[in-house]
Amino acid sequence: MPDTADILRLESLQVHFPIRGGFFDRVLGRPAGAVRAVDGIDLNVGQGEIVALVGESGSGKTTVGRVITKLAQPTGGRLLFEGRDMTSERGSSTLRPYRRRVQMIFQDAYQALNPRHTVFDIVAEPLRSLRLVENHSQLTERVSEALAAAGLNPSGDFFPRFPHELSGGQRQRVVIAGALAVKPELIVADEPVSMLDVSIRAQILQVLVDLRDKHHMALLFITHDLPLAWLIADRIAVLYLGRLVEIGTADQITFNPRHPYTVALRNATPQIRGDADRSKLPALQGEVPSAARVPKGCRFHPRCPLAFDRCKEEEPPALEVGPQHMSACWLTK
Amino acid sequence: MTEPSRSTALLLNVDGLSVDYKLKGLSSRAIDGVSFALRAGEAVALVGESGSGKTTTAMAIAGLLSPNARVSEGEVRYRGERLPINDDVAMRPHRWSETSVVFQGAMNALNPVHRITKQIAEPCILRLGLSRSEATVRARELLELVGIPADRGAAYPHELSGGMRQRVMIAMALACRPSIVIGDEPTTALDVITQAQILKLFGDLRSKLNLALILITHDLSVVAETCDRVMIMYAGRIVEDGTVADVFAQPKHPYTQLLIESIPNPANGKRMIRPIPGDPPNLVNRPSGCAFHSRCPSAMTVCATEVPSLDEVRRGRVACHLHRPLTQEDKVAIHA
Amino acid sequence: MSENTVQYSKRSRERAIKDFLRQFLGHGGAQLGIVCLIFFFVLAAVPNILVGPLQTAINATGDFLAPPSSQHLLGTDEVGRDVLNLVVHGARISLTIALLATVISLIVGTTVGMTSGYFGGWVDVWLMRITDFFFVMPSFVLALVITPVVLEVMGRGGDILGFRPSLFVIIVVIGMTSWAFVARIVRSQTLSLKERTFVDRARVVGSSDFSIMVQHILPNLVPQIAANGALVVSGAIYIETSLSFLGLGDPLQPSWGTLLSLAQRAGAASAGAWWYLGAPGLCALTVALSFVLIGNALDDTFNPRRRVIP
Repeated sequence: MPDTADILRLESLQVHFPIRGGFFDRVLGRPAGAVRAVDGIDLNVGQGEIVALVGESGSGKTTVGRVITKLAQPTGGRLLFEGRDMTSERGSSTLRPYRRRVQMIFQDAYQALNPRHTVFDIVAEPLRSLRLVENHSQLTERVSEALAAAGLNPSGDFFPRFPHELSGGQRQRVVIAGALAVKPELIVADEPVSMLDVSIRAQILQVLVDLRDKHHMALLFITHDLPLAWLIADRIAVLYLGRLVEIGTADQITFNPRHPYTVALRNATPQIRGDADRSKLPALQGEVPSAARVPKGCRFHPRCPLAFDRCKEEEPPALEVGPQHMSACWLTK
Repeated sequence: MTEPSRSTALLLNVDGLSVDYKLKGLSSRAIDGVSFALRAGEAVALVGESGSGKTTTAMAIAGLLSPNARVSEGEVRYRGERLPINDDVAMRPHRWSETSVVFQGAMNALNPVHRITKQIAEPCILRLGLSRSEATVRARELLELVGIPADRGAAYPHELSGGMRQRVMIAMALACRPSIVIGDEPTTALDVITQAQILKLFGDLRSKLNLALILITHDLSVVAETCDRVMIMYAGRIVEDGTVADVFAQPKHPYTQLLIESIPNPANGKRMIRPIPGDPPNLVNRPSGCAFHSRCPSAMTVCATEVPSLDEVRRGRVACHLHRPLTQEDKVAIHA
Repeated sequence: MSENTVQYSKRSRERAIKDFLRQFLGHGGAQLGIVCLIFFFVLAAVPNILVGPLQTAINATGDFLAPPSSQHLLGTDEVGRDVLNLVVHGARISLTIALLATVISLIVGTTVGMTSGYFGGWVDVWLMRITDFFFVMPSFVLALVITPVVLEVMGRGGDILGFRPSLFVIIVVIGMTSWAFVARIVRSQTLSLKERTFVDRARVVGSSDFSIMVQHILPNLVPQIAANGALVVSGAIYIETSLSFLGLGDPLQPSWGTLLSLAQRAGAASAGAWWYLGAPGLCALTVALSFVLIGNALDDTFNPRRRVIP
């Protein structure tokens, strides 16, 4: 369970992508809009903690992951790593110490591996570029250690292989091996099992849970799948249209959701055996609106079956509904 | 739209169907001796992982096999008549008019430069011989049927959301009044809430039009809410077949058991991961005997040598030696 | 994972190369192109063994403008030199110029295109404006203007890196005027490659921009560069021939273009000396065509369906 000290903290994090207006818009001085992909998120991850970030497409969950791994630059707010402000650090040499401690696992392992590199080169790349080894024998040792930790045994067999010679599960293990070769303290995993066959998923989840249990790594697990989040995470944060709507322990969010969106998400999730407390609320209509046109007030109100006047005017802040449990809904007060 | 009579006549009878793919001179068997029957108005799920042959089975029935695939054994009877699956031309009257398909990627299946109404009207003109204006009326009817206001038909595909596009795909599949609709992972690319909406639409249409539905999916939990019957496929063969309630309550095949256990299910409260060892087999060199034996926790010596047949058991069918009478020496466990 | 379901061979890279060669060599155009090129490369490699040292007016062996005979298979020129001898020696000069110019063009084009595509922003805008300039400017005209100026400034004597100055200038000018085409193709490929997840991954594991370009983007550009490089060579042959024909070549190291120019000045056309004009002309044409055939075959082989990204 979560430790005392936070390893990562996001403070009102904001990522807006400007929409470039056309030539005439610019001449006429019409204001260009922005896609508000991430619109003020506060989140913390404790050392050795697994936090799941759950949301539909367009919720901004992937962008949050990209900000933390410094693949995207925030337009507002702060990114703190062990209390140090990393918001505006950039450049590969400046970021080297940070990269050594924060790594990422990608959704599509096939896309994430250069088809022209061997498994050895792929796993060795972070060790070489972050200058973590002094000689080739040390490099070989670290690479085979990482492959073994990701469940690829005997690791030497995999050294000369190319990504297309591996099965889907093995490819994802190579990506994981590359991330943990540098022994990071935080791993951002963006939908790491959604492209895999069902029978392989549990294997990969087991590897990730082992990383936490054996090496005390913290994990930010990005997913669209609420039951999966419940299975792996200590805490779950639910995202809707660039904002956190609810955050709490995995059990709180799964069995006692307080925000109408979380409830709708849970009700819509197909389940293998019927769940008695379904359908307290009618099923949601429509789809997530575009992040370029965020509704006024509570951004969920146009689809919310419980919305009332205040929701149309004022955006609710995160309100405490229990220990460690916050919900951004006027009804939770 | 007229209300069809609610019959449960036998629509489709698949008997010992095997399909081979030719690739670079090599022949590999995608499905091997698949047999099942489908009745009007029934919803059956074909569940399996990549390479299990679920899509090949469905495409053979729909007459949409790729040119390098041949039916090498067995047959498919539709309303009692044998389908000429290997004959591309002879399959034409059946294809889309009797059996249509809703594909996964709606964006790829829609032409970006034509309006929605026109794309739905096209098959009506070609297949049903309607005039353009009649076809447009039909297209508007179909849009309303799948829950899209008919006026939205003037939009181009990119102006619609993912869920709307998938509804358009369903409208196109219904255009020629088929009796069987195959959903090939129809909700895999969609968000959870949209997925629930589309699955509900499938259910509504099924009862309204007395459609037989074949849902191809890798996601067992989707099956639980949509289908009556489920067939689990592994490495080109059906390993278990039964009603959804029976299979989920008491799975008989070890693969089905492990598959169900590997799906996180808050309802049963156990936060535990139980991985299935190994990788799904590839079809070029399929394991001997039962294809699952190398990953199976209860494998016996006989499993490595003898392919278990899909036998009728009490409530359903299963292909597993555990459910067959065996001699003592056959029963030696491999993973003791 | 105890089982490896995917067949694995230690020599997978060799096998991939073998597959590629089988497919490439099975291509009719490639076969024809390769046979022609091998022939000309042999000529260029050992001209002295085949036809003896380069003939000059002093050691010329035949009559003036004699038609082909058993002694002079391709006849003689206006000072009695054997045309076969000249053409074979010309092969060496022409091919060297074309290939070196192509190397320059590929290096410049790839560097500019990759930098432009990878960094984007104002770097992209400015580099592409420069590229556009070279793209719309007929490179032949540019070469025609630059070459005499440079020659005037540097003089025709001495040698640079083993080349007579005029040849060296021609090589550089052709190289510098034909890279825009390569840069455009490389840039568009880079734009799509840099969106690939493996580039994101490289960034997360701490690779610098330079190493991402060299390790991740460049290897994936090789098929495009190879296929288009072959087309650049054939363009370079034409430009070289034309420039030399217009008198910018070096009479002491005659290329095929120089020979055409000499033939023109000697009035070969009006004298009916078809062998004198035809031999070097046909050679230039054949070699250029061979490179085009090979370029097209490479393009087809690197999977026409995946032409966007190899």
